[in-house]
Amino acid sequence: MTTITRLLTRGPDRGPVDIVLAALAVALLGFGVVMVYSSSVIEATVVFKDPQYFLKRQGFYALGGLSVIFLTSRFDYRKLRPLTYPIMGLVTLMMIASVIGLGHSGGGAARWLAIGPVHIQPSETAKLALVLWLAYSLEKKRERVRSFSIGMLPHLLMAGFLMILCLKQPDFGGASVLLLLTFTLLFVAGARLGYLLGLAMLGSLFAVWAVRFTSYRWERMLAWFNMSEHRQDLAYQPFQSVMSFGSGKLFGLGLGKGLQVLYLPEAHTDFISAIIGEELGFIGILALCTVYLVIVARGVRTALAAEDEYGSYIAFGISVLFGVQALINLAVAMSMLPTKGLTLPFVSFGGSSLLVCAAAMGILLNISRSSGSGNLRVSFSTARGPEPEASAMLVTEASFAPATSPAPAYPKSPTPKQRQPRPPPSPKEAR
Amino acid sequence: MGMLCGLLALGLGLVVSAGWDLMIGDGAAWRELAESQRQRRLHVAPKRGGVYDRNGSALAVSVEVPSVSLDAVELLRGVPSQQVPVVARQAANAIAAVLGIDAAQVERRILAKHRFAWLKRQISALEADKIRALSADAPEDRRIHGLVVEGEGRRYYPRRELAGPLLGFVAPDGEGKDGLEYALNDDLKGNAEQLKGLRDRSGRLLFSDGIEDDRAFAGHNLYLTIDQGIQYVAEHELQAAARTFEATGGSVVVVNPNTGEILALASFPTFNPNDYTESQPEQRRDRAMSDVFEPGSTMKMFTVAAGLTSGVITPTQKMYCEKGVMQIDNVTIRDTHPSEWLTIPQILAVSSNICAAKIGLGMGESKLYEAFRRFGFGQESGLPFAGEAPGTLRPRSRPWVQVETASAAFGQGIGVTNMQMAMAAAAIANGGELMEPLLVRKVSTSAGEVVREVSPHVRRRVIPKDVARAVSEMLVAVTEGDGTGTEAVVDGYRVAGKTGTAQKTDPKTGRYSIDKYIASFVGFVPAEKPIVAIAVTIDEPMVEHAGGAVAAPIFRHVAQMALKLAGLTPKTSDHTDVAVLARTPDPANIAYEALREAQGKKPAVQEVLATGAVSPGKVRIPNLTGVPARQAMKQMIEIGLTPHIAGSGLIVTQQPPPGSVVDAKSEVLLILEPAT
Repeated sequence: MTTITRLLTRGPDRGPVDIVLAALAVALLGFGVVMVYSSSVIEATVVFKDPQYFLKRQGFYALGGLSVIFLTSRFDYRKLRPLTYPIMGLVTLMMIASVIGLGHSGGGAARWLAIGPVHIQPSETAKLALVLWLAYSLEKKRERVRSFSIGMLPHLLMAGFLMILCLKQPDFGGASVLLLLTFTLLFVAGARLGYLLGLAMLGSLFAVWAVRFTSYRWERMLAWFNMSEHRQDLAYQPFQSVMSFGSGKLFGLGLGKGLQVLYLPEAHTDFISAIIGEELGFIGILALCTVYLVIVARGVRTALAAEDEYGSYIAFGISVLFGVQALINLAVAMSMLPTKGLTLPFVSFGGSSLLVCAAAMGILLNISRSSGSGNLRVSFSTARGPEPEASAMLVTEASFAPATSPAPAYPKSPTPKQRQPRPPPSPKEAR
Repeated sequence: MGMLCGLLALGLGLVVSAGWDLMIGDGAAWRELAESQRQRRLHVAPKRGGVYDRNGSALAVSVEVPSVSLDAVELLRGVPSQQVPVVARQAANAIAAVLGIDAAQVERRILAKHRFAWLKRQISALEADKIRALSADAPEDRRIHGLVVEGEGRRYYPRRELAGPLLGFVAPDGEGKDGLEYALNDDLKGNAEQLKGLRDRSGRLLFSDGIEDDRAFAGHNLYLTIDQGIQYVAEHELQAAARTFEATGGSVVVVNPNTGEILALASFPTFNPNDYTESQPEQRRDRAMSDVFEPGSTMKMFTVAAGLTSGVITPTQKMYCEKGVMQIDNVTIRDTHPSEWLTIPQILAVSSNICAAKIGLGMGESKLYEAFRRFGFGQESGLPFAGEAPGTLRPRSRPWVQVETASAAFGQGIGVTNMQMAMAAAAIANGGELMEPLLVRKVSTSAGEVVREVSPHVRRRVIPKDVARAVSEMLVAVTEGDGTGTEAVVDGYRVAGKTGTAQKTDPKTGRYSIDKYIASFVGFVPAEKPIVAIAVTIDEPMVEHAGGAVAAPIFRHVAQMALKLAGLTPKTSDHTDVAVLARTPDPANIAYEALREAQGKKPAVQEVLATGAVSPGKVRIPNLTGVPARQAMKQMIEIGLTPHIAGSGLIVTQQPPPGSVVDAKSEVLLILEPAT
C-alpha cells in the first residue's frame, strides 16, 4: 500500500488536473467505443460470428485506458526521469524483436509483437518513449542544444534508429510521426533553425527514398495520384474512404446507419474517421476536429505553464503527438495524403494505440496539475502560509493518507532544491 | 512554439475545409456513387417460386445450379505489375480449359481488373469440382485466387413437355417468358429490392443467419387447377391424333363445369421448356387461348339453347329443313344430311345447317349476337395469360346482315377460342351458369402463407336451368344411335356433346378452302350430372376431317381419365364390360399408371404405390425421383424413414428402390444429381 501511495504521489506542490483536457479525453474514449461498434458490427458478424466482438474488446480497452489515465495522472511525471532509459531500452528491444521476425503479421506488416495472448504494437509505444527520451535529453543539454554534435546529432541518431525500425516493419506512418516529433521538440528546445531546415530537407529526401525504392509504397503513391483509375485495386481503400465521407453530407446518415462499412476495409481501425464522416456528416467531423484542436491547445497551455523544462517538453511532445496523429489520420481518410497506417487517437480500434494514448494523456494531465494552477499556487502561498503542499494534499489524498499524519506517508520528502519552485522557463525565452 | 501550434491549427483547418468540399460540395454525387455501388452488386436473383398442379406435383421448380465468377483484383493481388500479363495468361488458359470457353476472353476479363465478372453460368458439378481444384483446393503456391463458385437459380421442368406452352419458360436473366411464367412473373420472381445494402464488396450475401431463411425474398409458389394426370392424357391423345391425321395444330381444354376450374389445357405442337432454345415460337404458343377459329357445327348447341331461351323454338317442335338446300340472299346453304322435318334433337344429331340458320334468323341478329356474348364469346376469358385472343363475333365491326346471322347460327363467319368453347359448354353442363375460368387455385409464399386463393365465381346466368337440361338431353342424342358423335361415348356413361367440322378460310383467296377443315368436339359427361366439360379442336387434319372421327375419340379418352380420377363408376351397366372393370379395380391405379407413362417411367412426387396393404410397423418407400432434396427429406421424415443424401440437385436413385416395404425408421439412401 505504501509503495503504491508513494508511486502515486502527485508531488508536493500540485493542483488538480486540467479538467477540460480530462473531460475531452474521456469523451473521446466513449465516442471511440460507440464508433468502433458502429463500424465493426458487420465484419464482427461475418468473420467472428459475434456482432459485439470488437465492441467488447474496445470497451475493455477503454476501461483499461480510463484506469491508465487515472493512475498516470497521479504519478508525478518528474519521477519519469530515471525511467527514461529503461523505457527506451524496452521499446527498442520490442521494435527489434518485431522486425527480426518475432512479430505477428497483420495485413502484410509485422507490426505486432505477441507476448502470450497479448499483442503489442511496439511502434505505438515508441512514439511516447521517444517523447520522454527527447524531453529528458533536451532538458539535460539545455545550453548545448544549439551545437550540432551535442544538441542535435544524438537525438537524430536515436530518432533515426527508431524510424528505420519502424520502416522495417513496415510502418511508414509511424516513422513520419517520429520524425515530426523529433523535429518539433528540437525546434521548441531552441535548436538552430539552419540545422532544422537541413534536417527537414534530409528528412524529405529520406522519405522520398523510402517511397521511391519500396515498390509497394511507390505503387500506392502512383495509385493515389491517379485515384479514379485505380479505384478498383490499389486506391480502392482511399477511394471508398472518400466515398464514405462524401455520402455523409451535412448531417450524416445517422449512427449505425452507414453502409460503407460493407466496402471500406479497416473501417474500425485506421479509417474510422471515414465512417464518422458518413454517419455523423460534416458536423461530426467539424466537432471531432474542434475536440482535437482544443486538446492540442490545452496541451500547449500546459506546456507553457509547466514548472520545469522537462514537463514543458513532454507536454508539448504529447500535444503534438495527438495533433499530428489526428491530422494525418483525417488527411489520409480524406485522401489528401497517401495511405499510412495511423490511428485516430482514442477513437480507432486497438489496444496498444489506445493504452499508449491514455498513458500519454495521463502524463499530460499530471503536468497540468502544476501548470493550470499557477494562480492557485500563488493563492496558496499568500493565504495558507508556508504549508501549501500539505493542504493541497488534504484536498484530494484523504483516501491515501490520514490528514492528521501526512508526513510519515512520505519518508523521502522532497529535497529543498526540488522544492524551490523554479520559475517556469518558457521555451520561447529559451530560444 | 506558437508557430507550431499555428501550423497544427492550419492543418486541421485544411482538413475541415477539405471536408466541407467533399461532404457539402460534392456530397450528393458521392452518396449517389456509394448507393449505385451497393446496388450494382446485386447480381444473384432470389429463388423463383415453383409451379405445382392441383395435387401439389411440381410442374416447374427452381434449383440451385453452380455458376462461376471472377474477382480479378483478388486474382492479381500481390502480383508485380510486370508479371501481370504472364500470370493472367496462365490463369486464363487453366480456367478456359476447365470451363471449355475462350481463353482470350477470360484473359481480357482478368486484365479488366473488375471485382466481379461472370465467367460461366450454370456449370456442371464436374466443372465446379475442377474449378475448386484450381482455386480453393489447390496448394497455396499454385492456387488461382478470386474464383468464386456460387449457386444460381436455374429453372427446371421435371415433367418436360407436360403443359409446356401453358407454363412458358424462364430466360437466363431470370425473367419469365411466355405462358404463366410471363403472366405471373411478378409473383414468381421474388423480391430483389429488399436485398439492398446486404451485400458486401465481394457481392456475397451478408448476415447469413438473419436471412438463412432466404425464402423471405423468394418468389411465391403457384398452385394451379391443372390436374397432371388429365393434362397428360389430354396431351398424349391430342398428339397421337395430330400425328395420325397430320394436323398442323390443336388443343384440348378440360373444365370442371361446376367450379370453372381448368383441369387441363393441352396444346399441340408443344415444346420442352427445359430446352426452350430448341423450339420455335409456333410451338410455344398456347393454342387453346391464342388461336381463333371458326367453330362450325359445335356452335349449334348454343344457337339451340338461345332459341329455346328466347322462345323462338320449343323442345318438342319440328322444323322443316328444306331438303338440304336453302337460298339466303345470293348464298346457298347446304346440309350434309338432307332432311325434311326434324325435331330439335335431330337437328343437333344430324347437324343441320339450314335449321340452325332458321333458328338464328328467327331470333334476329341482335338477340343471337347478345346470346353468344352472354355465353362468353367475343371477349377474353380473364385468365392470367398473355396473348389470349378475345375472338371476333362481328368481324366487320357492324351488325350482321341476314346471311351473316344465318351462318353465325351454325358457327361460320365468327371467330372463337377453344377456351371460350369449353367455358360455354360448361355453362350448359352446370345448368346454365357461366363460370369464371380458374387456372391458378392458390398463390402462397415460399414459407407456405397464402397470398391469395380463388374460389368459384359465377359470371352470370346464361340460360334457364330447364333449357340447360333440355339441351343436355338433346346433346346426348348426338352421341347415340346414328348421331355424328358416337365415337365420343365413354363406356357406361351418357355423353352430351356436339361435333364440328368447319371449313377454314384460305387466307390467300379469302374464300372457304376446299381441303382445310377444323375438326372439333365439345361436350360434357356424365350428361345428367356433369363433372367435366371438354373442348377438342384439331386444326387442318388431313386424312379425315370430320369432327366425329378426329376429335371425338380424344374426348373419349380424356373423359375416361377424368371420370376415373374423380372416382366415378359407370351408372348404366349395359355397355360395360365386366372383365374390363375387374381388371381395373382402383381408379387411382390407372391414374398412377398414366402418370408413370407421363413421366417417362418416372412417377410423380407424392405417389405411393397404391397396391397391397402394408402391415403395421412397416412403411412403403415412396418414389421420390425428380424431387428436390429438401422436399424429399421432409417427406421421408414424415413417414418415419431416415433419409441419407448423397450429391446435390434432384433425386435420381433410391436405395432401397421405391415401392419396397421396409421397417419404419429404416435408412434410405437418396442419390442426387444436378438437373442438367
